[in-house]
Amino acid sequence: MNGRSSHSGNTSRLKIGLLRLTDSAPVIVACELGYFAEEGVQTELMVEPSWANIADKLAYGFSDAAVILPPLAFAITLGLRQPAQSLVVPFSISMGGNTVTLSRELADEVQTIALRDHVPLVNALAATLTPKPERPVFAVVHNYSTHDLLLRYWLATAGIIAGRNADLVVIPPQRMVEALQTRRVSGFCAGAPWGEMAVRAGAGTTVATSRDIWRNAPEKVFALRQDWAESHPGMLEGAVRALLRAARFCDAPENAAYTAALLSRPDYLGVDSQAILSSLPGAVPAMNRTVFHRHAATFPWRSHAQWFLGQMQRWGLLDAPAQTRTIADRIYRPDLYRRAVAATGESVPVADVKPEGAHRSTWSLDASPRPIAMDADYFCDGAVFEPSD
Amino acid sequence: MVDTSVERAQAIEETLASEGFADVRRVAAGCNLVAMVEQLSPDIVIMDMSLPDRDALDGIKELTARTPRPVVMFADEQDAGFVEQAIAAGVCSYNLSDAATRDVKTIVTTAIALFDRYKRVESELEEIKGLLAQRRLIERAKAHLMHNRRMTEPEAYAWLRRRAMNSGRKIAQIAAELLKCAAPETDRTGAGESLPGEEK
Repeated sequence: MNGRSSHSGNTSRLKIGLLRLTDSAPVIVACELGYFAEEGVQTELMVEPSWANIADKLAYGFSDAAVILPPLAFAITLGLRQPAQSLVVPFSISMGGNTVTLSRELADEVQTIALRDHVPLVNALAATLTPKPERPVFAVVHNYSTHDLLLRYWLATAGIIAGRNADLVVIPPQRMVEALQTRRVSGFCAGAPWGEMAVRAGAGTTVATSRDIWRNAPEKVFALRQDWAESHPGMLEGAVRALLRAARFCDAPENAAYTAALLSRPDYLGVDSQAILSSLPGAVPAMNRTVFHRHAATFPWRSHAQWFLGQMQRWGLLDAPAQTRTIADRIYRPDLYRRAVAATGESVPVADVKPEGAHRSTWSLDASPRPIAMDADYFCDGAVFEPSD
Repeated sequence: MVDTSVERAQAIEETLASEGFADVRRVAAGCNLVAMVEQLSPDIVIMDMSLPDRDALDGIKELTARTPRPVVMFADEQDAGFVEQAIAAGVCSYNLSDAATRDVKTIVTTAIALFDRYKRVESELEEIKGLLAQRRLIERAKAHLMHNRRMTEPEAYAWLRRRAMNSGRKIAQIAAELLKCAAPETDRTGAGESLPGEEK
């Protein structure tokens, strides 16, 4: 929508689609602080109102890249929503940041039971829902989203199955407060800062975040049209380096206030900077911090892609015979990441995949030139996902 | 019709009504769009592209896959180039908002026509794909018979046809069964679009 150029008059500008979300921070910072320009990459940021717009503009070739949900990037490449457009992911934008926010009365009930019976919140949620005659309705922000897959995963650990004893609907994050207030939904899962917005409006209480479902869960990625990536290899590498620098900036707690103020501008997120601040590094309480750089957050792990694709199959969003490993390898491109950052001295993981969910505490990742300090990555049900390599 | 601009919505509604589109329902942005579409079962949805509610519609495309509906988007001036490309692609229809009140009937009629054509081409394509797949199955079954049972090509075809006539089924079905018995699962490519052992 709002075409904004860091430089104008150049024909080969990288057009990047964004939504009004905290995870847009690295792209906005790289643009505003001139990191893209210093790498010789002319950019145009397109702040869009919906994921459908982001997807359509990529699909029709009207934008070159986007900060996007991995499941949506797969859906666009595989043509699950017409028309198809091959995308590549050379860079991961963020980990964490989603919240599960319930209506206040339901949240009160759930928290009371959880405390009384010493059970996880999701089991308390199941216990409160079972005696009720009507099926609970939960909202996510798009059919092909991390929110959809994380929420389904979490609910299923307590036997709440979308389509069987609960309904999932799609509601844009800006409408979630109203949907809670009018009792259209019992709760929702959305990215920052929208859970915080609902809490501030007095409509809901956040009972879980990404990290309660999957510690350091991958969230958004930077995806480009494959044809653009192949015809602009130098610009692609420059963009990855600029984003890496911006990710490091956004991850520093001392920069959080600046980043929040920048994002809160009307032409970007247009919401209270305090609400954004609560999802940035250094936030107190540290309930829902988005991770941009540390713990290899920028690396496009093929095991992340395989996990998402596997979950899409589990819930019937992707045909069972689809070869998840082949699709993951085609779209997630750690080779492009390595090539781009080779000269920067940034430590890069040696492998393209890692077991997901295997670490309950900090650990050291084999990387070059130095190992990378990693954080816990366990799932709420203790499952370990072994990727195929 | 979902629109942010009340004036535009009114103008469009009046034009459509005067042009004989029987029933125009205006829906407030942010209402339960999915439920409304399911309940009203409209022939066409007109919406403002600048609304985030588009994602909800994106979600119901799958639910309504059997009875899809054309969607017209009204976009802002900045998206002019995008609109042209989207229309050229003919899958979904985007139109500029400033043209809306004047030419709304043409736009809606064109959207329906484009959509119908797209659906027709799509179903024809599916039909052709099906026929091709059947042909390939029969060819492979013949090759199998010729190789394993030392039949000539006409003999193999006659064998398949006789079986089909005797059991009152299609030759392609007989071919598929024969191949399934001959080569169980092992040589599946798994990709879905190609048939087992196609390269042989």
